[in-house]
Parts: sequence; C-alpha cells; structure tokens
Amino acid sequence: MSSPILKVSNVSRRFGEKSDIIARLLARLGLIRPKPVVTAVDDVSFTLERGRVLGVVGESGCGKSTLGRMIAGLLPPSEGEITLDQGDGQHRAMPMQMIFQDPFSSLNPRKRVRELVCEAPRVHRIVEHGELQAYVEQLMERCGIDPSVRDRYAHQFSGGQRQRIGIARALAVEPEVLVADEAVSALDVSVQAQSINLFLDLRDVFGLTYVFISHDLGVIEHIADTILVMYLGRVVERGPAEDVFARPMHPYTRALIDGVPRLDRRRVTYEPIKGDIPSPIDPPPGCHFHPRCPFAQPQCREERPETRQVEGRLVACHLAEDINQHKEPSAWQVTPSA
Amino acid sequence: MTASSISIPAVLDIENLNTSFMLPGGELKVLRDVSFSVARGEILGLVGESGSGKSITGFSINGLLSPPGRVVSGSIRLNGEEIIGLPPAAMRKLRGAKIAMVFQDPMMTLNPVLKIRVQMSDALRAHKRLGRSDVRSRSIAALEEVGIPSPEDRLDAYPHQLSGGMRQRVAIAIAMLHEPDLIIMDEPTTALDVTIQGQILALVQRLCRERGTALIWITHDLAVVAGIADRLMVMYAGRIVEEGPVDTVLDTPAHPYTRGLIDSVPTRGMRGQRLKQIPGRMPALVDLPEGCAFQPRCPSATDACKTPPIYQAFLQGHSVRCRHPISEVPLREASG
Repeated sequence: MSSPILKVSNVSRRFGEKSDIIARLLARLGLIRPKPVVTAVDDVSFTLERGRVLGVVGESGCGKSTLGRMIAGLLPPSEGEITLDQGDGQHRAMPMQMIFQDPFSSLNPRKRVRELVCEAPRVHRIVEHGELQAYVEQLMERCGIDPSVRDRYAHQFSGGQRQRIGIARALAVEPEVLVADEAVSALDVSVQAQSINLFLDLRDVFGLTYVFISHDLGVIEHIADTILVMYLGRVVERGPAEDVFARPMHPYTRALIDGVPRLDRRRVTYEPIKGDIPSPIDPPPGCHFHPRCPFAQPQCREERPETRQVEGRLVACHLAEDINQHKEPSAWQVTPSA
Repeated sequence: MTASSISIPAVLDIENLNTSFMLPGGELKVLRDVSFSVARGEILGLVGESGSGKSITGFSINGLLSPPGRVVSGSIRLNGEEIIGLPPAAMRKLRGAKIAMVFQDPMMTLNPVLKIRVQMSDALRAHKRLGRSDVRSRSIAALEEVGIPSPEDRLDAYPHQLSGGMRQRVAIAIAMLHEPDLIIMDEPTTALDVTIQGQILALVQRLCRERGTALIWITHDLAVVAGIADRLMVMYAGRIVEEGPVDTVLDTPAHPYTRGLIDSVPTRGMRGQRLKQIPGRMPALVDLPEGCAFQPRCPSATDACKTPPIYQAFLQGHSVRCRHPISEVPLREASG
C-alpha cells in the first residue's frame, strides 16, 4: 500500500507536430501556414501507489484519454517518461491493461468470447496450453459472466456484459495497473452500479491499481482515492479525493463539482459557469481557464500558473489562497429557488 | 387521470396508450397502458433505462413513430383535442408549432449541409407567413434568447462549426421558435460535458418558467431531473411503474425498482463501498416475465406478483404499479 507503482514525470503529448522537410521549408518561406499543433497533455506528473485508485476527471478535450493511453503504453509521450515499478521482482508480460469506453468497438466481432479472453495469455505463454480453458472459465466466472456462454460472439451480449468481457480480457494477462477509460459511462444506471462493484471486488482480489478516467464526477468520487483534474491538457488540481470534493480549490474544480446534478439537489436554479471549453488548438494564454473564471485577474491572462502545493494538495491557480479565504465565493453556486 | 385533481389545465393528457412494433414474428408491445398528463408550466421527468420505452413515449406523442411502430390504442389529447388518428397533414401543423422535440444528438437532428439561418427560416415559415426581415430578426432573437454570442454571425454558420453545447442551444432555439405548448426533450444533455449540461439545464428551466411551456424531460439519469423536475415518472419494460412529485418519489420511492435505481447512484458518504445493485438486467420485451415485469429482480416479490399488478394511487399524487409497495420504510435501510 505504500510504494509507488506508477510514476509519471513531466509527460507531454503533442499531436500534429511532425511535418516533412518540404512543408517546413514552405512554412519558413511563408508560403503555407505551419501545421497546427495540439498539446493534448501538457507537463503532467504524478505517482500512484500500489492498490490505489487514481481518478482522472475533466471535460472533452482535456487530455484525460490521451493521458490514459500513454499510461497504458498505447501512445508514446512526446516528452517525459512513465515508469512502472514491479516491486515484487516478478516480471509480467503485460503489466498495464486498458478497458475502453465502448465495448461494442473494442471487442472483435468475429471472435468467440473464449478466444477473446484466451488470445493474449496464449500468445504470451502466461498459461500452459492445457490449462487455458479452465483459466478462461475461471476468469469469466470471476468477472460475472456465465462460463457456459464462452462460445458466443460479442454481439450476443448486452452492453454491461460486453464490458465484463473486456475486463476479463484485460485481466487475463495478469496486469498490475488497469486504465479504465470511461469504462462505466455508457452503461445504464443499474448496470453501472454492477460494474462499479465488480471493479471494487477485483481490486481487492487481484490487488490491482486503477487509473479511472471519467467525466462522471459521481463515479470518480465514489471509487477514487486521489483525483487529478485536467483542463485543456494541464493538471489544475490534484489531491486526496475526499478533500478535493469537500473543498475544491481551483475555480474549475469547483465549477465541475457544483455543476454535477445530485439526487438531493431539488428544484435548484442552476447558475452555471459561463462560456464554452476553448479549442485545444488555440488555448487561451496564461491560465487556460481565465476566460471562464469569475475571479480572473490581469495576471491570469498573461502568466501560466505553476502547480503549487497548497494545504496538502497541488493546485495550478494564481489565486488559490485568496479564493479559498472566502467560504462561499462561488459565482455559480447552486442556490435553491423560490 | 391526474389532470382532474390538478387545478391547472393539462396541456397533454394521455390515457391507456399502447404502442407496438408490428414485426414479422408478431406484435412487440413496447408501451403498455401508459397514462399521464402534463400541466402548463410543469416539468415532468421521465426516467428509465435503455429499452424501457421512454423515447417511444416521446415519439408516440409527437407522431414520429415510423413503421413497423404504431400506436395501437389509447388517447393522446393536446389542449383537450385528440391527436391520435389525425391525418399526417394536420399532425404536421401541430409538430413544431404546438409540440416540439429536442433530441440527444444535435449533430443528427440539424442538417449538416444547411446554414443555421436556413434551418431556422424553414422552421419559422413552416407555420407562419413571414417576410425576410421578419425571419431574420426572429431568428436572431431566438438565438439570443438561448444565449448564443454574436447571433448575427452564427446564422451563417454550419452546424459543424459550432460546439456541441452551441448546437444543442440552436436545437432548443428552433424548438422554441413558435412558443409550443409542450416540449419533449429526449436526453438533451447526455452527450454534453458537465459544465455545458449545467448551462443547458439553466436555460431550459428559465425558458419553461418564463413561457409556461410544459416540458417532458426524458433521461436515464435520475440526478439530472432531480434538479429541475416538478414530477417524476419511472418506466420499466414499457410500463409506468411509479409517478409522483419529485420529492416524494426520490425520498420515499414506493416501487422496488425506483428504490433500486436510487440506491445504484453513487452518493456522498458511501465512498469506496459496494453500491447496492439491482440483480440481473431488464428483460427483453419479446420475453417478458409473467405478471410484474420486475418480479424476477425484485427483493420483495411473492407469488402474487405473477399476476399483473394494477396501477394504483398510493398516496396523494403518488401512484405505483406494485403489489407490495414500499411504505414507511426509511430510504437506504430496507434490504437491497
């Protein structure tokens, strides 16, 4: 529970930066415009301890999925490095696995469930050939799929069951870290609860470490130990989930948390944060959030806020202390209507 | 049914609506005996999971069902006038003018090859004879109303040039053009980000309150409607299983399914604990269990549930379709 298993240091990822020599020459001569570069993830660092759950939250275009893909090794970072410490000295073939949002497009429609689950352990010789079938059945059972359906195809299952197949497939290679990218977002409420429970159970059984990516703050609040809030590629706040939800420090985090509809918020008048999420191609200068921030000062328009330690957590806001001196300063606080 | 007990006249009154899909293999009943009403200025939250029939309810009201789906029996009255069986031309006159609909994905409902201006003028001219300058000024006013910055410029934009939130605003502006009596919103914020969802909720709430428009907000997310709805209606497998004032339904749900749904939502103070889950999943409509459709998943099911339960008034304004409605058991203490 103590040693960090995952270490992400100053990781950035840019898209669209490579252009060939002719394009660069023409751009230099002013004949064509240089290709736009999107910085999807901008200088993100964190460590994650074994057996913990990191929740990554943010809205579309904030880079949370790109970060997840880099952690899972599906995408190389442009800068920085991601290291995994397999503390027990036991080498595993595939220590990181990813669960995708859409169980419809992430399962091969031409393969039977049995083949989907056993392919990786067979190729990587994680299990002896003769034991494969028993191994697959045991995994399926663990993930709540009846082993008797092992010969069916993915389209014969409901969304929730498909998600379980995806989980079983990921677990088949004995990973240590699971990156779940919006893994429960597409599911119905009652199925979502079943899925969350499954994730919680599996963590206890296999000692897994999760990176849970979601735009659904309710789910993240429920499952995460630490949360990382991203906005346009940058981390704006990181800290223990309980603290962050109880007392968000960054104005964006506060806006997110206040904006979440809750069962106990009845007949409220929503006074939401203004404006749209800017395009990541051309993010605002200084603090990315300043055009939407009710507290923005001239400084915020010019200077990029450094990530600072404030009361036990990391915040990237020039005004974090000032804002938090006021107890209820929020301009978008939900208030009961008459 | 409930219209008579409310002093405000009902904009929409539905009685025993049955909608089916006529498939080669037989009739698939997707809505069974759906009855409810919506009053002027009222926001009704219609909640259900995939396949519960919530969207089909919206389509049935709006006359947008396409074969093989059709309304088999029942009555839908808009401002007291029956609209089932209206000829298509008459229905077209109502649609957009009296009843409007907003869908989940504005990218699917806005025409990608037409400028916003054209789409708005089409919608305006479908029901009113208006001159060019009138159309323009009304379009601009409508866009302004939904909070679109620099509406003059946006008129010449194509849908793909707008963000998701902006597109949904345009869709709402178009739905509001003729100040309809009833708007049906089918998961209008499901595809949107949290902060944008908040904006849309605020907008819709304001517009409906200002104009007294009746609103049916269809969603799978109880929390979204908890904030804006006056009344909640829960559907399961084609039937309404519970209906009542939002506080009553959420604080003292009478139907075990509603209770299950509420318990499934992660709440504060339950961090890291297992959520209470409803076992199993919604049955397929082709293969509904006998009697109560929820009975195989229900913790309080008995043999009596093998015969269909009737829809009965439980308390004032609170109706439930259950043989064993939960009563006076405080929430979160009954077994899940």
